[in-house]
Amino acid sequence: MNPLLIFRGLNPARLAGMLALTLTASMALAESGTLIRAADLKQKPFLDAASAGQLPANSVLDIVARQGAWMQVKSGASSGWVKLLNVRTGSGKTGSSNGIGTLANVVTTGSSGTTVTTGVKGVSKEDLQKSEPDFKELAKLDGMAVSTQDAARAAQQAKLVVVLVPEIALPRGFSSSSSSSGGSNTTAPSDSNRRRGP
Amino acid sequence: MKRAIAAVLLPLLIAQPALAIDLGNLLKPLSGNNADSKGDIVNSVFDAGKNLIEANRDIGPAEEKVLGDGLAANILGAQPLLNNPAVQRYVNQIGRWVADQAGQSGVAWRFGVTDDPDLNSFSTPGGAILITKGLLLKLRNEAELACVLGHEVTHTLKHHHTRAIQASKGKDALGNVLQGVVSYKGGSANHQLGANAIKGLSEVQVRGLDKNDEFEADINGMVLCARAGYNPYALVGVLQTLDAVNPQDGSVALMFGTHPSPAERLSKIEELAGDKLDAYAGGTEDTARFRSIVGKLPTAPDTRTVKKAK
Repeated sequence: MNPLLIFRGLNPARLAGMLALTLTASMALAESGTLIRAADLKQKPFLDAASAGQLPANSVLDIVARQGAWMQVKSGASSGWVKLLNVRTGSGKTGSSNGIGTLANVVTTGSSGTTVTTGVKGVSKEDLQKSEPDFKELAKLDGMAVSTQDAARAAQQAKLVVVLVPEIALPRGFSSSSSSSGGSNTTAPSDSNRRRGP
Repeated sequence: MKRAIAAVLLPLLIAQPALAIDLGNLLKPLSGNNADSKGDIVNSVFDAGKNLIEANRDIGPAEEKVLGDGLAANILGAQPLLNNPAVQRYVNQIGRWVADQAGQSGVAWRFGVTDDPDLNSFSTPGGAILITKGLLLKLRNEAELACVLGHEVTHTLKHHHTRAIQASKGKDALGNVLQGVVSYKGGSANHQLGANAIKGLSEVQVRGLDKNDEFEADINGMVLCARAGYNPYALVGVLQTLDAVNPQDGSVALMFGTHPSPAERLSKIEELAGDKLDAYAGGTEDTARFRSIVGKLPTAPDTRTVKKAK
């Protein structure tokens, strides 16, 4: 059956409105981005993978997938992989993109902007300023805590394995935890010198 | 010269349990005791070298927990927890697993999802970490959740909020606030005083932290995430999701008002982490438990007033 049949009997304005809605919904599903610098398009998500062509800076990309530090993209007739950090998704457009895959069901009903219209709004600065602290709710939060053992057991079931990853040193005095004048050895022994494994 | 004084004073203060005594003193009026002479001496030493010492002084874990729990209660007063035990338990399991990779014991880690449609997450000194349902629903996989929690956990571990409060309020105000939180909890006659003290604290939640503290939380959050077995670049995915949201959208008003822009954070990750995390990009991204628990989370607000969509 021709899907257009359902539009019979609708006035043009209404029809246009419905079409716009459909378009918005499908646009929300597709994520797009911009390449911030010229990049080699790779055939596979590896540095030493064969090239699939070059993309100039500011290329507009359709985002297909993410994997590791890579993003699968399409740009015009080319497709391949670029490093995730070469891509920005911001544009100021209203049709905010959304999660893909498992969240597809979410997109249709609740991308940002539509959830808010249900009448419940999020916490604003003003809400925080006039909030009455709720220690009963905090007690609930306390009651939900899990132990290290519980978390480790659950992680094991999810096949997660601890990896030894060294801390990344930041420039001296970079953050508030490292910038107190002359106090680097008197502040709490935060783990800036710590390097640990499993 | 100032440094010379600090060099003499600081080891002295630290060698003796002077810091602890002073903090005990700050809390004294609560229990009705008068400050003892020892406390006075400590205080006068403090006053003498106040400016020098304040920047270096740390409040202890117990005091941080009092402050932090006041902050957490303040957020929860504005938006309660989501009534979904399975999701809450799941988020606690991931959060605890990631936090434990810092190898720092003694923090009372508690994680919660608030029933808030906006996109945000909150850290507090003392280990109460909150994420909004709105943000949770925007996440693609478990690694993204782990990295967001790793970011918040880092704020706690590096005492970012505590330092921000210390910097803006100073020692005396901090003492008042501590008293306030305790008396508020205790339901004493000073109830309103306590509420006001907590409201004073919430300033840090409204103004946000230093930009560099946010960048540090991103980098270290990725490290914790990688140690926990996840792909640390999942944080990049989250920031790209945020980057794609129209900054005028109300759902990001609080987060964008208190954080550097997602684009700026992405650039800093590139600058600070370089290729140091590339070796861990093969870590876990998706899990069955994420799909079955977060994937089935109803998108409609979990409130009495609004009916479930479909």
